[in-house]
Amino acid sequence: MTKELEHSFVTQLEANQNIVHKICRLYTHDQESHNDLFQEITIQLWKAFPKFRGDSKFSTWMYRVALNTAITLYRKKKRRVDTGDFESVSFKIKAEPYDDTMDKQLKLMYQAVKTLNDIDKALVFLYLEDKPYKEISETLGISEVNARVKMSRVKDKLRQILNP
Amino acid sequence: MDELDLLKKEWQSREQELPTLSYNDIYKMLLKKSSSIVKWIFYISIAELLFWTLLAFVMPESSEEVVDGMGMHTAMIIINIVHYLIFISFIYYFYKNYKSIQVTDSVKQLMKNILKTRKTVKYFVMYNVGASALMLIGFNIYYYLNKHRLFEVMSGEFGWGNTQLTEDKFITVFFLAQLIMGVVILGLLLLFYRILYGILLRRLKRNYSELKKMEV
Repeated sequence: MTKELEHSFVTQLEANQNIVHKICRLYTHDQESHNDLFQEITIQLWKAFPKFRGDSKFSTWMYRVALNTAITLYRKKKRRVDTGDFESVSFKIKAEPYDDTMDKQLKLMYQAVKTLNDIDKALVFLYLEDKPYKEISETLGISEVNARVKMSRVKDKLRQILNP
Repeated sequence: MDELDLLKKEWQSREQELPTLSYNDIYKMLLKKSSSIVKWIFYISIAELLFWTLLAFVMPESSEEVVDGMGMHTAMIIINIVHYLIFISFIYYFYKNYKSIQVTDSVKQLMKNILKTRKTVKYFVMYNVGASALMLIGFNIYYYLNKHRLFEVMSGEFGWGNTQLTEDKFITVFFLAQLIMGVVILGLLLLFYRILYGILLRRLKRNYSELKKMEV
């Protein structure tokens, strides 16, 4: 039973890992923290998985757990000394520099988003993921109206950062 | 179309640039231990509950005899019963709040539940510090009103009845020592909690107030 559960979980996470990577990129600033956060999100997802009933899509369910982990549960670690532990996990992440290929303007925009606070970042992330406001507001735990108002304020804020 | 919408357009089409982990990489992660803030809070809270519970049990025998000698045996028993009842309710509420922390809740609800759990322990500690301070003050007032008897009990208890320590000198030293000890211990506790809460909850509190601001 556990084996089946594990298999089902890992398969679905593997297929939807993009979501987690995107969150990790927004909330961390280096590869090591990215890996740490990815791991913590995986653990939290796995812990919550037995309660996932499949009445919503796996990916939809993931957003909440992953964002909750990035915003609230994740504690940034001090630089690790025991590299042995790290190597054993052996992430096969391409060591490419962050968003190097983006156009200059988009790159600036992305950098501006990264300077936002944790909550605004979550709002923008869900917006970029093309989530409806209903889902955004439910994920954050605020009303739909407030989510819309806040989003337009964040857009203003981003405009100001880009054109001071 | 503003820049954010441009980014949104690009956002979906650039997914192939994201890292890719294999089935085995992800599988290995399941075996790792979480290091989430909730886990930290849980361990620290348990340590605090244990510390204060044990502290209530460890009372030097000599101090107990002084209390008995001063005729406060019954008062002590009543105080202890009330104390333990309050302990049990705190532990119950802590457990209940801890269980309510669900990673599948909304961002706001999750933060609310974590802060609530932490608050239970905070009140527990405040209760203990407050009760200790009150008891220290209460006992000392009582001792002061019965200082002659205190001198007799103490000199009998510690066997220095025949030394040159006069009653006046003893009373001065006794109350001064009580006061200094009380202030030092209280100060250290407050400092300890300020640092602990500061480190653990700074980010959480900031984010929670950010979300609450949206509701205004």
